[in-house]
Amino acid sequence: MSSHAPHMTRRDLLRLAGAAAAVPVLSSCAGAPPAQTAAPGTFTVYWNAGHDYQAYRKVIAEFEQANKVKVNLQKYQWPDLRTRLLADFASGTVPDVVEEPGGWVQEFAISGNARSLQDYVDRDGEAMGFPSDWQPVTVERNSYQGKVYGVQLHLTCNTLLYNKGMLSEAGLEPPTTWEEFLAAAKKLTKDGVHGVALNQDHGYIWPWMMQAGVTPFDPETGKVMTPIEDAIAALQFQADLIHKHKVAPVPVSSTDYSGPQKLFSAKRAAMILTGPWDLEPIKKTSADIDLGVAPPLKNKVQVTQAAGTSMLVPAKAARPDLSWDFIKRITALEVEQAATKETGMLMPRVSWAKLPEVQQDEAIKVFAEALPIAQDSTQEVRLTGQLGKWDERLKVVYQQVIIQNEPAADALRTFAEAAEGFLR
Amino acid sequence: MRKPLLYILLGLASLATVVPLLYMVSLSLQTEAETLSADAVLVPDSPQWGNYAELFTRAPFGNFIVNSLVVAGAITLAHLLFDPLVGYVFAKFRFPLRNTLFVALLATLMVPFFVRMIPLYVLMATMGWLDTYQGLITPFLMDAFGIFLMRQFIQPIPDDLISAARIDGASELRIYRSVILPQTRPALAVLGLFTFVFQWNEFLWPLVATTTPEMRTIPVGLTLFNQEYFTLWHLTAAGSVILFVPTAVLFVFTQRYFVRGIALTGIK
Amino acid sequence: MTMLRPRTLSGRYARTAYLFLIPAILFFAAFFYLPIGNVTATSLRTGPQADQWAGLGNYTQALADPAVRHSFLVTVIFSVLVVIGSIVLGLALALALDQPLKGRVVFRVLLLVPYLTSVAIVGLLWRNILDPELGVLNRVLGAAGLPEQTWLNTSPLLTIAAVTLWQSVGYTMVLFLAGLQGIPETYHEAAKIDGADPWHRFWRITLPLLAPTTLFVSVMAVISGLQAFGQAYIITNGGPGDATDLSVFHIFNVAFRARDFGYSSAQSVLLLVVIVAFTLVQLRAGRRGEVTY
Repeated sequence: MSSHAPHMTRRDLLRLAGAAAAVPVLSSCAGAPPAQTAAPGTFTVYWNAGHDYQAYRKVIAEFEQANKVKVNLQKYQWPDLRTRLLADFASGTVPDVVEEPGGWVQEFAISGNARSLQDYVDRDGEAMGFPSDWQPVTVERNSYQGKVYGVQLHLTCNTLLYNKGMLSEAGLEPPTTWEEFLAAAKKLTKDGVHGVALNQDHGYIWPWMMQAGVTPFDPETGKVMTPIEDAIAALQFQADLIHKHKVAPVPVSSTDYSGPQKLFSAKRAAMILTGPWDLEPIKKTSADIDLGVAPPLKNKVQVTQAAGTSMLVPAKAARPDLSWDFIKRITALEVEQAATKETGMLMPRVSWAKLPEVQQDEAIKVFAEALPIAQDSTQEVRLTGQLGKWDERLKVVYQQVIIQNEPAADALRTFAEAAEGFLR
Repeated sequence: MRKPLLYILLGLASLATVVPLLYMVSLSLQTEAETLSADAVLVPDSPQWGNYAELFTRAPFGNFIVNSLVVAGAITLAHLLFDPLVGYVFAKFRFPLRNTLFVALLATLMVPFFVRMIPLYVLMATMGWLDTYQGLITPFLMDAFGIFLMRQFIQPIPDDLISAARIDGASELRIYRSVILPQTRPALAVLGLFTFVFQWNEFLWPLVATTTPEMRTIPVGLTLFNQEYFTLWHLTAAGSVILFVPTAVLFVFTQRYFVRGIALTGIK
Repeated sequence: MTMLRPRTLSGRYARTAYLFLIPAILFFAAFFYLPIGNVTATSLRTGPQADQWAGLGNYTQALADPAVRHSFLVTVIFSVLVVIGSIVLGLALALALDQPLKGRVVFRVLLLVPYLTSVAIVGLLWRNILDPELGVLNRVLGAAGLPEQTWLNTSPLLTIAAVTLWQSVGYTMVLFLAGLQGIPETYHEAAKIDGADPWHRFWRITLPLLAPTTLFVSVMAVISGLQAFGQAYIITNGGPGDATDLSVFHIFNVAFRARDFGYSSAQSVLLLVVIVAFTLVQLRAGRRGEVTY
């Protein structure tokens, strides 16, 4: 065997025996090893594999220089990052900073795994412009019981992307309401082209629900999806685009979000409802498409879903001062500016929206203007600690209606009843 | 069965297994734009051999390959060492609690790995073995699959051979080495091949047990080629093709042990 | 066949047996039974950190949970399809390739090829092939003037079972091939001299002598069928709706998406009990079929 192969010395064996005896019941803190970080002098950051921007590399280099540490940037897909992080929480070996896809900050604040950053905000907030320069929704979704637990890194929202050539050929202006949207989709649908392509992921239900004026969960009354008639109508509207009006293809359940973008890129869908992440693939695959970006649709209200990533510091992180310094540096306005220039990503600072990079880019500008009307739909559910169960069931209902064409009324009423049960 | 018909059926079955994999090769040679478009490309216009080079410039892919080879190789050797011996004991020895122990052994196959993963992770963290080869290897040194497989293949070996060796005064370990092991070559080939394939493709444990990019194995390393909302298919497919090569080579080398005749030399 | 059963290997070899087993017992205790003990302890707790006592609450909840029952049903159907399919097809291919055919080495390699890569890659690959709008299969069908398929939406469970079969049939074939090597040629020759036809020889000689391999293949197929995970995780995400919500995928989501480790542990323990029961039945049936020389 090579020298890398397991070579157990007697001391290792003793340690193994001792460790085996000491393995705590998954979680309970009693007997858990003390907080530790992989190697002293190494600063570990968990990051999304798609967000390794040059702009951030530069900040990291400066951070390393200033603090005399080496940054170990561990890049993962979201589900893998979560698996990893939950294992870390159980063992007590935690990273120094974690990027998260939205919602985990409050979840881990409730469970006691995230560290409150309020003391740092009190100290440095004014100088760095937090929270005054952050879009209000981003502060709220990262707070718990009046304390800040996370800082928004990217802020995205969902809006309408359309093929300008196809719309003008059909003599259409970009739709602004659901009626106009349906009419446009019908007119745009022809052989080989779908008027619109919907996503298979249930997260895409929210812009519609909110535009229909639906409250996902009201903690005061304990009611879910109210008013339920409007919620049913909104879900049925989406299903009808596919099954009744046949202006959209039937989506396929998967872990992939890129279906609509691919159809749009291939000129087989005239409109898609999506976020800024699809801008780059569209540019790459089909530079010839004249891409239009329109504001979110309006039904009862004009509103859209807020999304985007935040950063949190695990409660057991050994050097919170450094973690905070990292967060501060990477959310500076000039870093946001550089990242937008590099990738077209949208950012949470209010002052970012006024930058020339934003104002002069036709696509980014529309997104930036939609950010103030973007809302976080699932926050109230999240705060009950039952979001996992909620999502599991909502996914089933969404796909049963959208893909399998079951009537929205029954499916959604059953969902609401079940959810009111476990949210109580 | 008539031979021409047999050839046609085998040919069709082989086509069905190979053609989808050829599509993976095709994907690995496409441009990013081709893979991101809805109009799936069957054969790329100009093969992008540079995709393979890009793997190595965008990530420490050489490290991934070495790590995968070391980890899967060491585990396979350990299995070849331990599993036949334990399988032999269960096949040919009578001792108290044999059936109980055997069922208890099989039961270990029935818990999905992720269920054990967090306790194992805590154990390895306590040992300080995260991000090391011993941390990646130790939890997989033996498994019930290999032991069960060897037991089943050792069982048909005639008991006379063993008792004859005992009468000749051979030690138990010697009987195992020179009577049993030579009879089990096809099974050992199967064991080595499947253990290697399984470990080579293992994902969850290397994902949590490594803490630096340099220690990742190929399957975990491949996730670096996904963006937040879409997959860099050309690179993922290229990595998958590379991932596939060593297991295929290993199979070509081991498959000769499945040919009739070799297994039985020395019995009659 | 000489019936040399237990007496030759009597009690005095028990010590040797245990001596050989010690490393294995220690290993399985540390890396399997200790974690399984942990999981069992966790199954009696609740909360995101699994630190509140729940007694048997998770178990009673799981037994009454329609989603748990549904996923178990889905898993059983999936397993039946895959177990029967892989045994029948694997054995047929092994018998065919055990004959002196020209080019059989090439066939063997080609048929095992899908097994040599990972479930994740196979899943991603087939998703890229089968997707009704984006997949390459419909492009080919369309070009050939054939009707397009939407199998992932119309029969998702059957589709992922077929993909699983596609990947694993070579693996059962190799196991059967290896098993066939253990059957001495003399039996076949003797039977031929007696005038038995091939069909007769298969039922009377090959199949009984292959019993240990068949037992192994079927036990392992049931275990891995009931624990299938990657197919749902990679190809369908359990959908559409809950049509492919395989048990282990369901349990994984309860643990790592919903972070209810207590509840997921209880479901794992229940699944363990079910699989052990299946296996015991198979072993008992197999013991009757085992042949000694």
